Amino acid sequence: MRARILTLVGVGLVVVVGLVGSTQVGLMGQTAGTQADASLRTPWGEPDLQGIWTEEFDTPLERQERYGNREFFTDEEYAEADNERARLLAEQSTGEGDRRSAPGSQNDVAGAYSNAHLSFKHLGRRTSLIVDPPNGRLPALTPEAQALANTEREWRRALLRSTETCELGLRACSGQEYDPTPSPRRDEPAPRYNTGRMNRHDDPEDGAFGDRCLLGHITPSETAFGGNFRRIIQTQGGITMYYDQGQGQGFQRSIVMDGSPHLPETIRQWFGDSRAQWDGDTLVIDVTNFSPKQDFMGSRENLHLVERWTRTGPDTIEYEVTIEDPTVWVQPWIVRQELRKQIEQENRIYYEPRCHEGNYGFPALLKGARLNEEAYAAGTGPHPATFDNATGSGIQRFPGSR
Amino acid sequence: MQNRNRGPIKSSMLGAILAAVAVGAVISVSVTRMAGQAPATRSLRTVDDKPNFSGIWQTNNEAHWDLEPHAARPGSVMQEGIYPYPYAKVPAAPVVALGAAAGVPGSLGVVQGDGEIPYTPAAETIKRENSEHWIDRDPELKCYLPGIPRAMYMPYPFKITQSTNKIHMAYAFANAARTIHLDDVERPPDYTYMGHSVGRWEGDTLVVDVDYFNGKNWFDRAGNFHSEALRLEERFTAISPDLIQYDVTIDDSNVFTRPWRISMPLYRRVEPNMQLLEYRCTEFAEEFNYGHLRKEPLVTLWEGETMIVNITRKVPEGDALYDWYRK
Repeated sequence: MRARILTLVGVGLVVVVGLVGSTQVGLMGQTAGTQADASLRTPWGEPDLQGIWTEEFDTPLERQERYGNREFFTDEEYAEADNERARLLAEQSTGEGDRRSAPGSQNDVAGAYSNAHLSFKHLGRRTSLIVDPPNGRLPALTPEAQALANTEREWRRALLRSTETCELGLRACSGQEYDPTPSPRRDEPAPRYNTGRMNRHDDPEDGAFGDRCLLGHITPSETAFGGNFRRIIQTQGGITMYYDQGQGQGFQRSIVMDGSPHLPETIRQWFGDSRAQWDGDTLVIDVTNFSPKQDFMGSRENLHLVERWTRTGPDTIEYEVTIEDPTVWVQPWIVRQELRKQIEQENRIYYEPRCHEGNYGFPALLKGARLNEEAYAAGTGPHPATFDNATGSGIQRFPGSR
Repeated sequence: MQNRNRGPIKSSMLGAILAAVAVGAVISVSVTRMAGQAPATRSLRTVDDKPNFSGIWQTNNEAHWDLEPHAARPGSVMQEGIYPYPYAKVPAAPVVALGAAAGVPGSLGVVQGDGEIPYTPAAETIKRENSEHWIDRDPELKCYLPGIPRAMYMPYPFKITQSTNKIHMAYAFANAARTIHLDDVERPPDYTYMGHSVGRWEGDTLVVDVDYFNGKNWFDRAGNFHSEALRLEERFTAISPDLIQYDVTIDDSNVFTRPWRISMPLYRRVEPNMQLLEYRCTEFAEEFNYGHLRKEPLVTLWEGETMIVNITRKVPEGDALYDWYRK
């Protein structure tokens, strides 16, 4: 059976390499029909979700309005969109259009990534990850979520107002007016528990999750160039998933399958509380009890996920997640992804190196801020608020911002 | 659905028979209790006729403090009191506020044979320095990945998910995990904290060879350590449905004069509502790792109602992380 699966995986890869355009359509058509195949079941008879899985294509979270309610590109649309995307990426990698690449400029050395050294995934056949609402667009934010987001945005912009970024009117300044006098808002705590990058490094809590090695979320978090690999291992009546995410910020996800109710409300976790059961051949996982520190597009402790994992073929899983938080969005929304099985023998999922053990950057950021303060106090350096240590990365992390 | 529930004892196994004689009564009780525990009834054996290790386990010993035999001591960090004798030390500032909760329980140790770890003379010196600089050197305190075998006997539960070609171990501490490969896979591209685990069944014993370590782990909080040449042979033997005998042969010619062995039971966490909860200590250790870099450090002086503890962190020379940003 194993040899057969490997062969099928091999065939699948050849197809992907040769015919990126047309494979997915074929796979879409395969749903449900193949589930009875005994090779897609574990030796104890449950649907077999085991293996290393990832989304091999890049799909925008939200659909461009011109595609209306259509879940998939037509062949013509796909070819056009993928080519246009490739053209833009190539343009950036040669420097033309790359806003960081003016030699000798602050931006030139501020970024950790360049398109010349990254390989990007092809566009997928889906017009968007969101399949519901039917227009593939995020539901509206609730008024209170919108207000909180605005408050936070204004506060972050205030921390930038004395920097060169704003003096030069760069895009990252996002409309904040330059003012050489540092904002008094620098002394305010963040409007809510901070998860993103800010132009202040007084304390570890001022660091972005990525800088603190605290990224990682079970919600879809692929990037255009990076993976989000999941290793699934099953036992009779049980399942476990390890997520390889965010360059060493992977994590173990614990899933309870004994039919018991969710944890008490007082117990909150970064990766929530996952309770799973089989619904026919689909594994359904209900996730609640998220920590108020954890963040997914503004949704925190009230986030509720219902995931559906279905093995649809020798090397495909359909993953669907209903995302709900009535304090953030006016209605639930649904994301659907096709995950592809990776070659088991190659074992290319990494539990380490972890971000944390090698995190020299974050203490250096804090130490740098202290040295800037010392220099300013000694009259040998400018006011620390004039440095921009927040917007240099150029990589936008969240699916919604791609 | 296949369900070969053959009971806990495979009669052909001599070891299992001996074990059965020793703990027969316990097994009966245990099986009866489990049988009454619907709905998630667990088979005692898997479909491929192996002991079913799936579930949540934990040691119940003092190995995480010190693998070697040791008397109880009053503090995990100590200083000289009014006497010069090593046995008369008293708790030091970092733990004094915790009173009797900061002591270290005694243990007969888990090292087999004479109970001592066979260090080379040079390594013995490093071990002693490690224990003297425990706070600054122990990777556990920084929430670094614990490595194997340490992850197996830290005071946190871990979960085994046993399939036919993989056995996964998920540790509460640091959200760490390892996959034991029963099939043939490529090694990781670089040395690791958690090692590369390749397993096989010898009868009812799971045997796991672990290597490819990066040498940055310790064995315990007493400064016992190894190098990147560490090679382990772990043996997991079912004694009863809720008890695994865990033996590890430890070999590292850079540090030890000969291979040595530790042995301890792993206990199933049999609470009906037991589940693995997070211990995401990357966050917990931030104050420890970075607190001194705050604009206004939180901890310089701790004032209680009856005592004042002045905590000043001095980072010793030789710590790679601190040396790097001291430049």
